[in-house]
Amino acid sequence: MRGVVSKAGRHGPRADLRLLTRALLAVSLTALVALIVRLRGSGGTPPHRGGWREVSMTDLEPVDNP
Amino acid sequence: MGAVGARSARQLLSSSTVEDLAVFVRHPSRVEARVVALGGSGVVHLEELSTTAFAQALTGANVVVLAAAGPGTPLARASLIAGVPVVSVSDDTGEVRSLLGLHDEAARRGLALAVGAGMAPGLSCLLAAWAAGALDELSEVHVATLGTGGPACARRRHAALREPVEEWRDGAWVRRVASSGRELVWFPGQSGADCYRVNRPDAMLLERAFPTLRSATTRAAASRRDRLTSWLPMLRPPHPEGTVGAVRVEVRGRRAQAAESALVGASGRPALLAGAVAAATAVRAATGRLGTGAGGLASLVPSPGELLAELSQRGVKVMIFEGAGPPPAW
Repeated sequence: MRGVVSKAGRHGPRADLRLLTRALLAVSLTALVALIVRLRGSGGTPPHRGGWREVSMTDLEPVDNP
Repeated sequence: MGAVGARSARQLLSSSTVEDLAVFVRHPSRVEARVVALGGSGVVHLEELSTTAFAQALTGANVVVLAAAGPGTPLARASLIAGVPVVSVSDDTGEVRSLLGLHDEAARRGLALAVGAGMAPGLSCLLAAWAAGALDELSEVHVATLGTGGPACARRRHAALREPVEEWRDGAWVRRVASSGRELVWFPGQSGADCYRVNRPDAMLLERAFPTLRSATTRAAASRRDRLTSWLPMLRPPHPEGTVGAVRVEVRGRRAQAAESALVGASGRPALLAGAVAAATAVRAATGRLGTGAGGLASLVPSPGELLAELSQRGVKVMIFEGAGPPPAW
């Protein structure tokens, strides 16, 4: 009769190190993705109509005293 | 003397009402050539900044313009005690808050303490006040800027991109992360630029000026490198004076029971814009044409359109955006 020895759940220095490595990798990847999303992305769209016009001296006065 | 200080002095000397100008600097020998190049018909005295020399100069002075980087509150307090109105161009939130703390002192003496009289805050507050004059009720103001004046201004913007931002939202102050909230802004005379939240005191000054204001935001144009390196010391020395600059102000509110918005702005060298605003404000303060107490230009200038017209004569082009579609959500 042969017994089956399961290694699942066994804890040791190597397993702890692997867990730590994976955690650090996950955190690093998350930070990298957050950085890319923060630095890239769309800021909006430019106006498709209208434009800037210089305000004349006469325009400046009546708005205060309509 | 920095870029904004030099521009302010040049603008003041071009005013017919200014005969004598005392310029206080920390290192007079470094700015002698710059002072000689100011021109104008007035007499310029260059002196090393010290408490004693400054106090002596206050005797007979009509107005003080604070354009140096660093704390100006002690100088402002000394000026008020001496009965001299003060104009500050600072865009440092802490400094502005400190100057606003002198409100009671200024009001009691019937003097003006104009805080944030540069490009932004300053021109931004004036534009907001002028545009708000066309509305029955003002509810939102959104300020965006492009460019910096001199080295001190560039350093301040560098810091403002990393410092926590206080934003006025729905009638309450909300803390936001700096360099967040990207918006593509189309500036007058310039192409579009991505703008982000920065720690600047425009919202603080606007909230004091307009009791009905529900939201006020402040953004500045920045590149990815600016944002990525904002928490580091500046990687290279800032330019002596920025050549490209603009300010854009969007106001929203109600007119005749309908929602209304307006976009106004100005473009030019930031130091030139700031210097023109500071000088025009100083002349008004000296001649008693400002309100009393400490506040931004939206609070102290009784007729913003009139001052904008004067700035227009000093080379500041006021622009308005026409034919816009529905405004974006901020």
